[in-house]
Amino acid sequence: MLDLALFLFICFLLLVGLRRPYLWVLTYLYIDILAPQKIGWSITPAFQFSLISFCAAFAGWILVDPKRGSQWTLRQSLLVALLIYCGWTTLNADFPEDALVKWEWVWKAMVFAIFLPLTLTTRLRIEAAALTMALSAGAIIIATGMKTALGGGGYEQLNFFVNNNSGLYESSTLATVAIGIIPLILWFTKHGTVFAPDWRVKAFAYALVFACLLVPIGTEARTGLICMAVLALVSLRDVKRRLTFIMAGLMMVTVALPFLPQSYYERMGLITGYKEDSSASTRVAVWKWTFDYALENPAGGGFDAFRGNRFAYRMPVKEATGDHTVSIEYREVVDEARAYHSAIFELLGEQGWTGLGIWLWFQALGLWQMERIRRRWRNRAAADQQWQSPLASALQIAQIIYLVGALFQGIAYQPFIMMLAGLQIGLWTYCRQLDSRQPAGRVPRQPRRGAKARGNAVAAREAALR
Amino acid sequence: MIDYFALALIHGLLAVMMIRLSSRADLDREPTAPDEGQGGA
Repeated sequence: MLDLALFLFICFLLLVGLRRPYLWVLTYLYIDILAPQKIGWSITPAFQFSLISFCAAFAGWILVDPKRGSQWTLRQSLLVALLIYCGWTTLNADFPEDALVKWEWVWKAMVFAIFLPLTLTTRLRIEAAALTMALSAGAIIIATGMKTALGGGGYEQLNFFVNNNSGLYESSTLATVAIGIIPLILWFTKHGTVFAPDWRVKAFAYALVFACLLVPIGTEARTGLICMAVLALVSLRDVKRRLTFIMAGLMMVTVALPFLPQSYYERMGLITGYKEDSSASTRVAVWKWTFDYALENPAGGGFDAFRGNRFAYRMPVKEATGDHTVSIEYREVVDEARAYHSAIFELLGEQGWTGLGIWLWFQALGLWQMERIRRRWRNRAAADQQWQSPLASALQIAQIIYLVGALFQGIAYQPFIMMLAGLQIGLWTYCRQLDSRQPAGRVPRQPRRGAKARGNAVAAREAALR
Repeated sequence: MIDYFALALIHGLLAVMMIRLSSRADLDREPTAPDEGQGGA
């Protein structure tokens, strides 16, 4: 029944796209994030819906779309350069067969991230893409949040729609994305036009934010806790009453603490006691190995080059020797073919210094562009110029949280994050076009806070001089 | 049961979104674009 329902829903999306081809772009976003073809078991997987929607989105844009306002940007050029470089390293990979498996999904994620901004030529398109991403991820988040609230959480214990650790169905990735999109969800409570922000939209958005906060608890992903701390810190920049925000946050944490399971405390305790954790010890060893590997192979070893690693490290093993005594013995552990557990080292090992340089440039440019929009548009007075700055802020915070989470996960090419980058590029070109249409010095601005007071002070100084 | 609920809720919202978008004129054209008809770079 579920399989048939998903099949019919995708058919419905493809049919609606016949009327407005841009909807095929949204169809691909939905399919790539939620992976309904993996949720279904007979009819839906029988069709290559991901490929069909991918081709339909491109064909619709090339053949029918007016392409008014489509622009090429430096960030897209960087992605093209990275894509070509990835292709070259795949051809010369240390492990060609494994590299090809990763290449199959990486090129699609990158090509779509390059393509997506070309379609985001109107405000409604930008909003619709963001909404589709939030809702598609929201399905996984709501299910995870509800299971957590009903006591079904635990490290590697939660059952998702798909249990193969791919895409957003990997617990740490889901925790990072869930926390990252919180500001984006809140943006819809003020600036949404598809669903006008009334009490129902606000109630749903706040419930979804609550579910997002439950994801790191339910998955017991340590990265999730770090991401929550980063979100709290970065949010201080935009909140009006900072002290109230801090007090409310502290109160919420205090109230929530007694409800957290013991297993959660034990797992989070490993953030500081990383030397006693084999997973964390392995990461440090892999990072050292990758750095040495990159020094010897500066061009990178292609996708999945980590399969060649082998290293030994010492870690303390606790053993209870009596009722109240615990002996700690340092044992040498030999490990091999361990994944990078960091996007930085993933790039360094696979695409070398060149790939890492391009990726860092791409990310830094995104942060800078969102900051530029945030500052340039925040004091504008026109009614249709109120949404750009908050959206840039939300996308920037999402990227910051991703970058922090990516320090501990190999998610350099995560498709959802690539889409988020596409959204950033779309917003950047859209705002740049609006700015270029505005005659110089004709941007109506709201009086800034304190401007009146400063104006009075200037007047008083001038009066004193007179 | 929870999975069914989450999937039904989100797919319902996505369906409403798609229907609304399909009838919005401003999906393909900015309503206030002053230089309508000029191509992008």
